[in-house]
Amino acid sequence: MKINISGKEIEFKKEQNKLDRFVIEFTSLLNRLQIRYVIVSGYVAILFGRSRTSEDVDIIVEKQDFKTFITVWNTISDGYYCINTNDVKEAYEDYLSSGISLRFAKKNTFIPNIEFKFPKTDLDNWTAQKRKKVIINNHYFYISPLELQISFKLHLGSEKDIEDARHLYKLFEETLDMTLIKEFNRKLKTQALFQRYLQ
Amino acid sequence: MRTPRINLKELEKIKEENFKERLEFIDKYVEWMKKTSNKTWSSQQKDLID
Repeated sequence: MKINISGKEIEFKKEQNKLDRFVIEFTSLLNRLQIRYVIVSGYVAILFGRSRTSEDVDIIVEKQDFKTFITVWNTISDGYYCINTNDVKEAYEDYLSSGISLRFAKKNTFIPNIEFKFPKTDLDNWTAQKRKKVIINNHYFYISPLELQISFKLHLGSEKDIEDARHLYKLFEETLDMTLIKEFNRKLKTQALFQRYLQ
Repeated sequence: MRTPRINLKELEKIKEENFKERLEFIDKYVEWMKKTSNKTWSSQQKDLID
């Protein structure tokens, strides 16, 4: 496996699967709009080769005012529809601003879909600020720092999540910031799971 | 209808053993990925997902 990791960027080439193409297409809209976002959770492990797929891709998008969101909504609506509602005001007020995710899928489909949400916690804001740029076959998008992904997957705690954490940890073991992982493990109370399942 | 005796402790043990086996598989898979070209591992992942 050839992968270049430098500071805030991770660059590699791969044969794109359907989920990769779905993510690249959706995030290219966000890139065009210069919206700050970060992909978190399961897709991060799948991006780096995990042998499973997912029905949704979680994206945290920086909070924006209603006027900005209308532009985002209109741009996304070109190729996608919102599963929850077709009303932009309701989407903003009753969902995003109330802490509920929106789900966007390609027109005439249901899965896969993008789970689109505003940050709810300090951890969400930190992830958006410290996001890493992934360059894959000349396309780019942003993912959560791997150290947080690993600890957070342990925090979620299902067998699938622990397997994702193990995959990322074993793959990037030599390049991870272990001080950061230890700190997240301490704050998320995942030290025991880390010892048991990752080491 | 008579149903078999179910030993939940025994099932829990089997579940944990299966999980450990899957974790060991992940280690082997990652080892293989590391020494395999991007084209090869990602083509196999593409076949699985698509």
